Amino acid sequence: MKRQVPLILCFLFGVVMILTEFSPHAASQSVYNEIVNWTLIVWPFATVLAVATLVQTHWARIQRRSEHWQYSYVVFAGIIVMAAIGVPFGMKHPAFEWLFNNVQVPMGATMFSLLAFFIASAAFRAFRARNTEATLLLVTALIVMMGNVPVGDLVWNEVMAWSPWSDKVSEARQWILDNPNLSARRGIILGISLGGISQSIRIILGIERSYLSGGDA
Amino acid sequence: MEVFGIWIAAFLTLCIYSFLYRDNPFYRFAEHLFVGMTVGYGIARSIHQGFIPLAWTPLWAAIIGESPAGYFKLIPICIGLLFFARLSSRHSWLVSYPIAILIGFGSGAMIPNAFQAYIFEQTRGTIEPFGSIHAGTLSGWEIFEAVLMIVGVVCTLTYFFFSAEHRGPVKWISKVGIAFLMIGFGSAFGNTVMGRVALLIQRVDFLINDWIGSISALF
Repeated sequence: MKRQVPLILCFLFGVVMILTEFSPHAASQSVYNEIVNWTLIVWPFATVLAVATLVQTHWARIQRRSEHWQYSYVVFAGIIVMAAIGVPFGMKHPAFEWLFNNVQVPMGATMFSLLAFFIASAAFRAFRARNTEATLLLVTALIVMMGNVPVGDLVWNEVMAWSPWSDKVSEARQWILDNPNLSARRGIILGISLGGISQSIRIILGIERSYLSGGDA
Repeated sequence: MEVFGIWIAAFLTLCIYSFLYRDNPFYRFAEHLFVGMTVGYGIARSIHQGFIPLAWTPLWAAIIGESPAGYFKLIPICIGLLFFARLSSRHSWLVSYPIAILIGFGSGAMIPNAFQAYIFEQTRGTIEPFGSIHAGTLSGWEIFEAVLMIVGVVCTLTYFFFSAEHRGPVKWISKVGIAFLMIGFGSAFGNTVMGRVALLIQRVDFLINDWIGSISALF
């Protein structure tokens, strides 16, 4: 019951998904859509469990009075405010939309924009043309960044005025993105896909079972 | 209310940027508030875009006798409820049932989708220009680009091929693969930096035009 049933369920759902994907018959497609809906129904329960774990963690922080424990109340306030408005009144409620547009979206954008500073300082420290590979990385990144903005065009035109490549940085950027960059990405995508497929087959056949116990059972 | 929203957004933006100086209570407040609100938003979204339309509405239709097929939704609801077995130490093993179903579903859906969207399409895109070479519609430069593409893909794949030892010709092919990978990573880095800078410009534009603009509008 503890090990065989999950393995059988995993096998059944995996095989049904493969077979229904390849069969265009209406009955097969309705089974496919039903299973997709089932997983979409199951996910919210997993979300609730994840929230329960988060609440447990922060509650333990408050009880233990660990460092910065006061901020756990801020987490609770955020969860309660959004859920108390969003769950009973829906996501179209003006108060929910106001909070989303004036609190959550600005904070999300600012958090991501903060990375601009860290990525720039990390690049300043890490980008050294020590060997051919590092030089390729550095030159490509510079051309892509300069080709993206008008000021990059201006700098390039001033620096490369003597060469036949002046006024060509945008074209150079696009050529890099469309050719050597795309071929590398295709290689990575093909490698990841083949690895993902082989791993999926191992999971469906029950060879890979680490998801059942956290170890290689 | 609009001006109040701008002030709240500006305060939280400045709280987060204060981290550029060093970690401080304002940043920690905004960081924890962001986590909480994102989780709250996720709860509302999973209920209103997942559970209610896909489970509750059909089940309610079955209860009031409109569509008995809605009773089938009890199966995924029961599977989902098994997640809460994690909260009981005696029955925590039951959580492996929904996990196995979701992993089986994900693995089964991944195989045909990866073949279709990635392997077939990417391979087709790589070798398709060679059909035009035969038709004589490609210029010399375009032929060079087509050859460069296939060389890049083969060399990159060789670099990730660990079943053969990287010695002799394989070593040199994988070295060319590393060069292509470095160009790929450089492009990805350049694009990421520009994306983040665009966000930064948008936030600074908000602070200068919307927030400071709202102050000047008061007087």
